[in-house]
Amino acid sequence: MQELYLISLCALAFFSVLAVLLKDLLKAALSLMAASVFLAVVLFFMKAYYAGVFEISVVAGLITVLFVSTIGLTRGDDFKESKLPVYIFPLFFIWFIIIDILIMYLLLSKMPPLTKWVAEPGKFGNVFWQKRTFDLLAQIGIIFAGVFSVLALFRKRDKND
Amino acid sequence: MINLPNDFYLNLIFAFILFFLGLYCLLSMRNLIKLLIGIEVIAKGVTLALISASSVKGLILTGQSLVITFIVVEVCAIAVALALVINLYRHTGSLDVKKLTKLRG
Repeated sequence: MQELYLISLCALAFFSVLAVLLKDLLKAALSLMAASVFLAVVLFFMKAYYAGVFEISVVAGLITVLFVSTIGLTRGDDFKESKLPVYIFPLFFIWFIIIDILIMYLLLSKMPPLTKWVAEPGKFGNVFWQKRTFDLLAQIGIIFAGVFSVLALFRKRDKND
Repeated sequence: MINLPNDFYLNLIFAFILFFLGLYCLLSMRNLIKLLIGIEVIAKGVTLALISASSVKGLILTGQSLVITFIVVEVCAIAVALALVINLYRHTGSLDVKKLTKLRG
């Protein structure tokens, strides 16, 4: 089980690298979708089932559809990225991983030992609908803001525009 | 299942890697859609860090509700940003950020 968890984490990082480095935008969007699926698997391993389901349905599903639609609507552009970021990427990436692991190693010696996994009491519904009610109100506001913004951006133009 | 206290640091390492990948994409790419993909990769790192921290503290339900709120915000931001990208493409005919010079004073 631990191996599967590690493989999921590595696959998440691998597909994220592909999403960043691939030149074809469609392939990059599909790599991002694969990364979302592996992130959802990691969340399932951590017993975050609801977050995993949201990650698969909304991020891997809806956002990928949005990306693919946008790429389809902007296909006429023949603009290509320069190759320099792809060539210098391994250098920066290896340098970053070494620093990242060093910092984590130093933190391990200074931080107090963590306790064993303890389940939070109560049900998800109680926490989501009762303890985090203000978050829900904010979410409704954000959804309305997003819908009206998209409507404003795609409105029909007047003669005066 | 998973030995969470030990895996917490492993998760943090991967969360930082995802954050670095997204930041690298934002700093080095010029395509508008690629920049949004970079933001998405950063968001994945943040999600991973939030869930690992909440599960190690025994607050997995609160962490999940925070992540769901975060995902809703992320979707709205991406939808508006992609609508902006389409509009910009209709105006300029390109996705290159360097060609967006009409706002210069």
